[in-house]
Amino acid sequence: MSASFTSLIYTYIGFPLLAIVVLNLIGKKHMEKFCAPIGCAVGVVQAVTSVITMLLLLQYNKAAVNFSQFWDMSVSTEAAYFSVDAISAIVLFCIGMVTAASFLTAAGMREEKMFNYTNVMLILVLGMSGIALVTDLFSLYVFLEITGIASFVLIALHRDIIGLEGSFKYLVMSAVASAFILAGLSFIYMETGSLRYDAVAEMLAGNTAAEPMLIWLAFLFLIAGFSIKSGIVPFHGWLPDAYQSAPAPVSVVLGGIVTKMAGVYAIIRIMSDFLLGTYSVINLAFMLLGLLSIVMGALAAIAQGDFKRILAYSSISQIGYIVLGASTGSMIGLIGAVLHFFNHATFKTTLFVNSAAVERQTGTTEIERLGGLQKQMPVTGVSSVLAFLSTAGIPPLAGFWSKLLIIIAAWQAGGPLIAGIALVASILTAAYFLRLQRKVFFGPVEEHLSTVKEARGGIAVSAVALSAVTVVVGLLFPVLLQILQAQGLL
Amino acid sequence: MNGISAFLTVGSGMNLLYVMILLPFVLALLCLAIPKQSYAAKAGVFVLAVVANLIFAFGVFRAPDATMLIPWAGFEINLALRIYDFSRFIVIAAAIIVFLVGLYSVSFLRRKEYAGQFFFYYLLTLALANGAFLANNFVVMLFFWEGLLVSLFGMLVLVNKDNVRTAVKAIVLSGTADLLLMLGIAMTCMHAGTMMMDAVNDLSVSGIGAVGFLCMLAGAIGKAGSMPFHSWIPDAANDAPLPFMALLPAALEKMLGIYLLTRIVLDFYDLQPGSTMSLVVMIIGAVTLFFAVSMALIQKDMKRLLSFHAISQVGYMILGIGTALPVGIVGGLFHMVNNALYKCCLFLSAGAIERATGTTDLKRVGGLGKMMPLTGLCFIIAALSIAGVPPFNGFFSKELVFDAAIESHTVFYVIAVVGAFMTAASFLKLGHAAFFGPTKLPDDVKKEDVREAPAAMLLPMVVLAAACVVFGVWNRLPLDMIQPLLGDTLAGQDFAGWPHSMTLVLISLAVLLLAIINHIIGYRMTGEGIKAVDHIHYAPGLRQLYHCAEQHYFDPFDILMVFVRIYAWLCYCIDRAINWIYDVLLVRLTSFFSQSLKNFNTGDVAGYMVRSFIGLAFLVLLFVLLI
Repeated sequence: MSASFTSLIYTYIGFPLLAIVVLNLIGKKHMEKFCAPIGCAVGVVQAVTSVITMLLLLQYNKAAVNFSQFWDMSVSTEAAYFSVDAISAIVLFCIGMVTAASFLTAAGMREEKMFNYTNVMLILVLGMSGIALVTDLFSLYVFLEITGIASFVLIALHRDIIGLEGSFKYLVMSAVASAFILAGLSFIYMETGSLRYDAVAEMLAGNTAAEPMLIWLAFLFLIAGFSIKSGIVPFHGWLPDAYQSAPAPVSVVLGGIVTKMAGVYAIIRIMSDFLLGTYSVINLAFMLLGLLSIVMGALAAIAQGDFKRILAYSSISQIGYIVLGASTGSMIGLIGAVLHFFNHATFKTTLFVNSAAVERQTGTTEIERLGGLQKQMPVTGVSSVLAFLSTAGIPPLAGFWSKLLIIIAAWQAGGPLIAGIALVASILTAAYFLRLQRKVFFGPVEEHLSTVKEARGGIAVSAVALSAVTVVVGLLFPVLLQILQAQGLL
Repeated sequence: MNGISAFLTVGSGMNLLYVMILLPFVLALLCLAIPKQSYAAKAGVFVLAVVANLIFAFGVFRAPDATMLIPWAGFEINLALRIYDFSRFIVIAAAIIVFLVGLYSVSFLRRKEYAGQFFFYYLLTLALANGAFLANNFVVMLFFWEGLLVSLFGMLVLVNKDNVRTAVKAIVLSGTADLLLMLGIAMTCMHAGTMMMDAVNDLSVSGIGAVGFLCMLAGAIGKAGSMPFHSWIPDAANDAPLPFMALLPAALEKMLGIYLLTRIVLDFYDLQPGSTMSLVVMIIGAVTLFFAVSMALIQKDMKRLLSFHAISQVGYMILGIGTALPVGIVGGLFHMVNNALYKCCLFLSAGAIERATGTTDLKRVGGLGKMMPLTGLCFIIAALSIAGVPPFNGFFSKELVFDAAIESHTVFYVIAVVGAFMTAASFLKLGHAAFFGPTKLPDDVKKEDVREAPAAMLLPMVVLAAACVVFGVWNRLPLDMIQPLLGDTLAGQDFAGWPHSMTLVLISLAVLLLAIINHIIGYRMTGEGIKAVDHIHYAPGLRQLYHCAEQHYFDPFDILMVFVRIYAWLCYCIDRAINWIYDVLLVRLTSFFSQSLKNFNTGDVAGYMVRSFIGLAFLVLLFVLLI
């Protein structure tokens, strides 16, 4: 058993590293055309491995499994180590899935700087996998920075003015966030003397802090820092600019997973490992921030004129739902948050892939210049409708179930008003997506678009595959939920 | 024949109860299923149904008292039926009328396109009416009672499929009455604590009892066609096929309504003579009979004139039963039977005239007595009966009602007598205009073509006319069936034979004489039978009133519709307002916020950072406030 578990670490951390080394040893000249398959393989292998991890956890009935491959755990109790539990496994699956989709999109878009893109993407995957695996706050910070730096480079990949501007905004805001997070970590370290999740949790649960004020300050900074990283209103300013200015395959991975890993995953970790049921003010703070994000994101999305910008604001709104679910501090809310995380990775990636298809085939993402593409681009149109129905929470698609759990949890924790606002915002979701669908896909064809064809290759494949995930997971959701609950994993 | 009589006696008539309800229904469906071309087959099934119903009604008539109960819906709602004096009597009476009108319809509707559907609704009506008469559970009775609205609506749209105004009017008015009945039954059942009709006895008419009584009363008189639920009947006279008028407004609806009214007054509630509720019922009766007969007086169309009499006659019944005196109740029920006989006969003879000449407009026909002698004879007998001429049946029942009215209050008696005067006057006019005087026919009808009606139509008329005579001369026959219904209330009184009060008889005769004198004066003044009452119609003051009434100013339905329109307008406004909130206000608000938020994101990093710090400050504030 331990052997099978231990080998997992090689696929999560080792495989991307190995790919980078191989690519650069052989060199750009020979490897340029193998970049997309290799990147895709990394993503698929990671997704498959995470499924295997999940099955192993189920089989051996364990809540989590720890690795100490690089550090000897027996030397010091303070040593850092990796660990995979159910939440990590789901998140790792999302990373693999979105990575594969991003590489397929890059192949479909005939990315010019494929070699550079692949290298940085693999570092990004490494960083995100690290975030999912670590068990102490400082390692978390290190991998956050790796993820962040890789993202800045990717956004500015083409070195055009728009990309550089978006990248710069993200960089500046991330620097502020890093400062906040580091400050928060240092305050916690002053109290605890350790940044391991279990040590911090023990200190918080026992309420043994010598200076409670420090803990409050620490959380104040952590909340602000992670909020900037996840793009929660009012810390969200950089997010739409960065998403819009990034090249298509990069916005797929940014919108699908990066900001979620960098911010929301940490918030879920904090709520699930440290704060289940205690420190109600922090719960309240996250709840208010989540609601604000839901409503503001949805309202702002309605007026946008760019396909990708609408998706960006939609991301803000959906991140709000995840934070709202996590903020309830209840089991059902956390399950809802994690599953919405997964669903969001699925449907938002689908939509970004669709926007890439539209951009590739028509040369624009401005919705006023698009129209009636449904006939010419049936795959894109249908997968986009499925994804938007899932986002809006229409049964039986996957998005419905996670949103339902979140709203139930919100009702239990915050009363009908909170749940009602979250519910009404769903209508806004439907409103901005209907507008998007109508302007881009429905109605008569614009004259200058009459020769447009469906995008082929990687883009279509990933759109179909992701739509299939949305539908299948939606249909099997009750079963999955029962399995997870029966094993006590969530 | 042996088989039938054996069947009739098996199981104390219990199985008859199913058959009475189910057989007409099944045959009704069969009538509908038979193709349109085979009229003979349709008519055959139809006649079979009414004849079988008559035979089974005799079976029920001979069967001993019995109750049966099939558990059904729970909550004490069981399919309970009951044979006893009243249901026996009313079922056989209905069966006879249904049989006669049915026989007439087969001949009258030949070559009519809607005949098959008419037969279907006719038999459906029969099944439902039988169910309502035999039910012993309030909910079951209500089920059959409300079901009658279906056939009512169906028959009214038969002829004018495009113009459903009359049908809608009928369903609104009858539906209102039925709704009140439902409320009344709910309150009565709650008051009594049971839904079995034979278990509800002599509830006190006070508090919730009074409300329940009034609501049930509205249902009963609404079905009977009393004011204010009456105004669809004259419209139906124009729009519906004539056998419908003879069957429902003239006979069966009166039977249903008066049956329920009698049950309410006699059984369910303890209505004391002279009490307030008794007065209410009597006022309704008096108002109905007076105003309806006033309208009948001036009509120039046979069917319309008769339809107003169909309303006014029910006023006599309600007045009689409303007195809550034994003589009044007996008189009311007797009048119901008599009314069914002569009113049916009158409608049927009007139908015979319509069939022969193509019209019932009195201005276009005249002197038909020579061409249609038998029809004329039947008409005259029925007219004499309704006018209250001895020794025909109407005279005796009317005298009983007069007796009860004067015992309650003289005002009611005076109104009833004035009503009798106008009834006599209107029929003098009708008879004179239609059957006597110079021969007058519509332009497109030749004199040779106008013939006596066929035997199948004449037979019912002759039987009904004969019954009018028999029930008058030998009035002990019906009264011996009616009087036991009152049970102990009767206290040994017997109203059969010649009326007890000679004074009242003399007054009635004097009124009849007055009517004749009035007719002669009117005839002298105008020279035409049809204008014999014009001196009343166009008298100063009355003329304007009549004009308003003819313009439907007093039609409860039209008055109701004014309120409905106001209400509908209000609802429309509310709907628009709500729509505005959703379609305009919310959209504008949303786009306002969206635009503001869009403009807020300027792309200025410093601004983003400032906002982040504002967010941090907000968090600090939250922490400070709540820790």
